This record gives sequence, structure tokens and C-alpha cells, in this order.
Amino acid sequence: MADAATPAGARVARPAPVPKAGRMADPRRAGLSILLVFLAPALLVYLGLTAYPAVRTVLDSLFTIEGTERSFVGIANYRDLLADETFRVAVRNTFVWAFVAPVLDVATGLLLALALYAGVPFARFLRVAWFTPVLLSYVVVAILWMWLYNYDWGVVNEALRAVGLGALARSWLGDPNTALSALIVTHAWKWAGFNMVVCLAAIHSLPSEVLEAAELDNCGWGAKLRHVIVPMLWPTLLNLYVLAFIGKMKVFDLVWIMTGGGPLWATETVSTYVYKRAFNWNTFDLGYPSAIATVWFGVVCAAVMILNRVFRSRDRLEY
Amino acid sequence: MGSARAWVATMIGAGLLMAGPALAAEPVQITMWSNWPDEPAKKEWVTARVRDFEAANKQCSVKLSFIPKADIYTQAKSAVRTGQAPDVFYMEPDQPEFLAGGFLEPLDGHVDLSRLEDWAKPAWTSKGKVYGLPVEAYTVELYYNKDLVKKVGVEVPPSFQLTQGAFADLVKKGAAAGITPVSQGVGDRPFPGGLLLFESLLRKLGPEDYGKLLNGALSFRDPRVLEVMTWFKGLVDAGAYPKSFATLKLGESHYYFYQKPGALTFPDPSWFTGRAFAPPESGGMPADFPLGIMQFPAMDGGLCPSCKTLAVAGSFVMYSRGKNKDCAGALLNAMATPGNGNKWMEQVSLQTGLKTDPSTIKSSRAEYFAELNARNKDVTYFFGTPLLYYRAKCAETYTQVMNNAFPAGLIGVDEAAAKMDAACRKGS
Repeated sequence: MADAATPAGARVARPAPVPKAGRMADPRRAGLSILLVFLAPALLVYLGLTAYPAVRTVLDSLFTIEGTERSFVGIANYRDLLADETFRVAVRNTFVWAFVAPVLDVATGLLLALALYAGVPFARFLRVAWFTPVLLSYVVVAILWMWLYNYDWGVVNEALRAVGLGALARSWLGDPNTALSALIVTHAWKWAGFNMVVCLAAIHSLPSEVLEAAELDNCGWGAKLRHVIVPMLWPTLLNLYVLAFIGKMKVFDLVWIMTGGGPLWATETVSTYVYKRAFNWNTFDLGYPSAIATVWFGVVCAAVMILNRVFRSRDRLEY
Repeated sequence: MGSARAWVATMIGAGLLMAGPALAAEPVQITMWSNWPDEPAKKEWVTARVRDFEAANKQCSVKLSFIPKADIYTQAKSAVRTGQAPDVFYMEPDQPEFLAGGFLEPLDGHVDLSRLEDWAKPAWTSKGKVYGLPVEAYTVELYYNKDLVKKVGVEVPPSFQLTQGAFADLVKKGAAAGITPVSQGVGDRPFPGGLLLFESLLRKLGPEDYGKLLNGALSFRDPRVLEVMTWFKGLVDAGAYPKSFATLKLGESHYYFYQKPGALTFPDPSWFTGRAFAPPESGGMPADFPLGIMQFPAMDGGLCPSCKTLAVAGSFVMYSRGKNKDCAGALLNAMATPGNGNKWMEQVSLQTGLKTDPSTIKSSRAEYFAELNARNKDVTYFFGTPLLYYRAKCAETYTQVMNNAFPAGLIGVDEAAAKMDAACRKGS
């Protein structure tokens, strides 16, 4: 039916013809060239700054590089690695740190989040105070905690002396039995705020009906936490654990500043050992440190995949 | 068309003619990385030498940066490989990989080597060529607080050298009086914890066998070595070192010695002055501090009680791939004069590998210099500290064991000796 308002002879705009079905026909899908234009910058950055260094590290691990000369040594660096006692110590320390410390990190974060959720006094101030360490650089955190751990006038030993436990005062970073634990506590302190924020956000997003139903059923705080909150937060907690695990498998800054891997290699991690071999070993050879880095890259990937598989049986992880 | 081309050519020619003198006047800029950002006297000396050089050589300018030593090493290791290292940079002889890698330029064609002390040249000599300008030299000294030592009832003999028994007695008396006998910390350095032990080993073994020990040709299980280590362990167990030994930094151990809480002795290279002679409000030594210098203890049956370690430390080297070697070489040559050597000793109160004219040195620290010279009179020098000899795993083991764990009392004599032999002994 002709539109009465249309003047005679005027051209009527018609909708564009429906394109044929097919890949290029879908307006939501861009052509390859358009895709490349958008992808290229990020792809170049990724290839140049991530992929190339990674591939080059793997290649370098097959060489001995002295000054400007490279000589192919095959898997000799990997063979040497098997017999390297310091590397074994570094792996042990890093595993201890990576598997144990995240539990402390996540538990602390969850407790802080619950405290805020429960409405402790000065919650607004505490939220900021507890999150502040996350904003500090490792250098600042390290120096701060070196002061806290100082034997003569550090807060830790002074507190022990003040309560009559002076016999327990010790050089926390200078004793091989306590140095690693002292570093783990420091690391947990720095990251507790991050875990707290994530946990708090997760708690606030829990369905209120479930929590209210639990309250109607006279469920106490402890029971609610155990049977309702933690199970519902479980996927978040697992994600935090895996994130913390990955971070700790690469830990370097804090160790380097606070102990340099000592005493007696008690805090040596794989990252500090790679650095020592690359820069403190009176050699320019990057072959051996590259072999360590390559092996450790594989170990981290494998560990994450295993954790993923283990946790997937209960909950799917999201990254 | 032809006239237009001619006009353009004329203008370009005129432009080039005008720019020519300007380009010619533009000085060549070289870059220089120096250590000592936190040591005012040394920093001033380097800055003054660079400014003097620039004033006398208008064709060269210097972009001078003061960077902590560890950072210089790390940055230089990357930079030399990529051709981006500075023309002149700070280096110490215990970093031989730069020389071995071919990254250092011989100074022979650039610097008048006759203006360097003969004893200092070997530290930087390889295949007959000299690669570093040895600005900073030092001896390993045992500083002490005269008043506190007297207070605990120990009389320093006229030879200024206690026997090993008398030194052990000093440690015990200090510990009993609640005064730390030896101020020392290894929180940020790989060597201080080994000073007392290795100086004692030098006096026990004599230069020849001590050299063998450092070169891995003599075992740490040698009875004489074990004897000295056992004596040293006795000092450690008697409470010789601060409880905060493992984390105390070098600068803090200075403060510990001459400010709070105070200590009887302080083994330190003679670069002690770099920090000690800073103003007290900046952590320096108080003007009225009763500073003395004694010899390290004479070991029972020691082959060389008068031995002492002499070493070259802070030096400047030229990058072999530098693009401005003429200016860089001229700068180092300008630094290497007896006059500048004198200024170093006057300002820094520390030995130098540059030749000096002692008769003209004027120093506000004349008393200190007199005592330092007296303690270095008639001594037999052994060249180089352990880390000049130790490399790679051996150096790391020295740092972890002899510098830290053993003096901290974490391990015993046998374990320490075994670890050192495993890492350093040739053929192990």
C-alpha cells in the first residue's frame, strides 16, 4: 500500500537488501585485514616483549655465551643443573614458599574481609590501613620489615622482651631456621590487603537470600561461615590461591633485599639463584641461567595445570 | 628552472657554511658512571676532576652519573654486550669477566702509566697491558676505640699488635662488660665477615701459603688453617660479633662502632675514612672519638705477623667499544696526575694507586694519616682480598659461609672448612 504522505515521484528509501549468508555477511565479524589492524599492535608487543625473550631464553640455554662468543653445548647446562646442589635448595625453598604461603595469604585476607563484613569498629579506616601495604613497593616493605626484625631494637624482639620472652628474641633473618618463615610472613603482610579486597567483594556479592535463610534458621556466625560463606566463596579462594602460587614461584625482590638468599642459602629461591648466576657469578654466560629459567618455566606451567586439574574436580577456575 | 636550482644550491651551501663552525664547536659528550653516591669526599673528588677536565678540554664534555656499585655492575653487564656501556665506568679488579670478555680498552695508549704506582698496576694488568686506573687503594686495618679498650682493662702494646691470646682476652672482657668486641655486619656486603679470620690466616700462613689457600692449592683442612679457624670460632662463641651481624649493613656497622652502641674494634679496609670522616650529623665519626689503629693479632707460630692485605678497589676503565675513546682516554689521563693523587689523599684520607707527592700532602686529618702510616711501616703486603681470587661458586660459598654463617656461629669449623674445600679446592 502506497504511503499517502509520499509525494508523487519521490523516491522511497528502502532497507538495504539482506546479504547472503556467509562468514563475511555477518556484520559483527570483521574481515581478516581489519582484524589484523586491531590485533597487530598488541601482537607485536606480545611477540617482541614476551614470546621472543621466552624463545630466546630456551635457545640460549643450549649455549655457553662468553663475552660475544656463543658455543653450542646441547643439553650440557641441563645436565649440570641436575647436579647443582644450590639449585636443589632453591627449588625446595621456592616450593615451600609457593605451596605454604598462599594458604597464609588467603586465610589472612579472608579473616580481614570477614572482620570488615562483620562491621568491626573503624571499618572504613581499617579497610584503607589493611590495603595500604599492597600499594607499597617491595623495597619499602623489605626495609620496613628488616627494621621490625632487627635484633637489637626491632619491634618483634622488643615485644618479646617486654612480655618476658626475651629468650625467644633472635636474629630472625640471620637464623637459617627462621629466615624463610620471616620472609613468608612479610610477603603475606604485603598481600593480605589484596586478598581481603577480593574476598570482601565476593562476600558482598553472595546472594542475600541464602544468608538470610541461614539466619532465620538460627545459624550462628561460626556455622554460617563454615557451611554457607566459605563454600560459596570457595571458587574465589581457589583463584586467589593459584594467583598467589604463581607469584610466589617467581618471588625475587623481597628475598634479594632482605637476605640475598642467605644465610647459608636458607632463603635462596629459584629467581634469586638465576639472578646470581646471570649477574653475580663473575661470568657473562647466560646459558646456564637460561637453562634454570627454562626448567622453571616448565615447572610453573606444570604446577598450574596440576592445580587447575585438582581444583576443577570441585569448581572451575577462572583467570 | 636552472636559476632556481642554483639559488637552492647557494642557500644550502650558505647554510652549511654557517652551520660548520657551530658543528665544529659542539663538544663531544662522553658518559661516565662512578660509584660513591653516598661518600661525599670521593664524590667531590670525581666531580672536581671531571670539571677540571672539561674546563681544560673544551672539545669534550662529560655526562657524569653516580650510581651504587652493585647497580653499576648489573647495568654494565647488560650494556657492554649491547654496545651501550658508558665510555668510562667504575670497576674493581674482582670483576675480571669484563676484561676476559674483551669489553675493556687497554689504557696504554691513552694514559701515562708512569704516573701509576707500580704496586697497583698488577691489579689491572693482563697480557702486559693495563686496563684500569687504580684510583682507590686500601689496606685492611683494625680500628679500635682507645677509651673502651682501656676501660675493659686491656693495654695495647707499643707494637700495636696483640697476640692471639690477648685478642681473645679482649673479646671476652668486652663481652663480659656488655660491650660488643667487634663491630661488623654483612647485611649488604659479601666480604666484611671474613676480614678478621682471613687477616689472621695471612699472619699464620705467610704470603706464600696464604696465596695457595686463596688459589685453591691449599686445603682449609690444613692443620694450621683449622687452628686459626678454631681460635676464631672461640671468639665467635665468646660473643665477638653483634647479634644483628647477619643484617647489619656496612654503613650501620660504622655507626655501631663510633656512635651507638659502640664497640671495641672495627676491622675495615682503610676506606673506613669515606664514611667515618663525613660530618657526625650525617652518620660520621664524632670529632672527639678516640680512634686508634692496631695491627691484626699475631698468631701463635705465625709465619708473618707483619703481613697485611693491600688491594686496589675503585678504579675507572674504558669501554672497548666506546665511540669517543679520545675524550675518554684524555679524561683518565687528566685524572692520573700526582697532584690529583695528592688531592685524593687530602680529601678522602685514603691510599691511591695514582702516584703522589707525599711531601706536599696537606690534610686536616694529618694525625690519622700519621697513625695509618705508622701501622703500615715495615709491613709485608699481600696483594688482594679473598674475593679478588675467588670466583663463581667459590665466591658465593665464601660469601655465604666465611662472610656470614661461620662468623655468625651458625656452623662449626669442620663444616665451614668442608664447604670451602668443596667449592674452592682445585681438583675437588
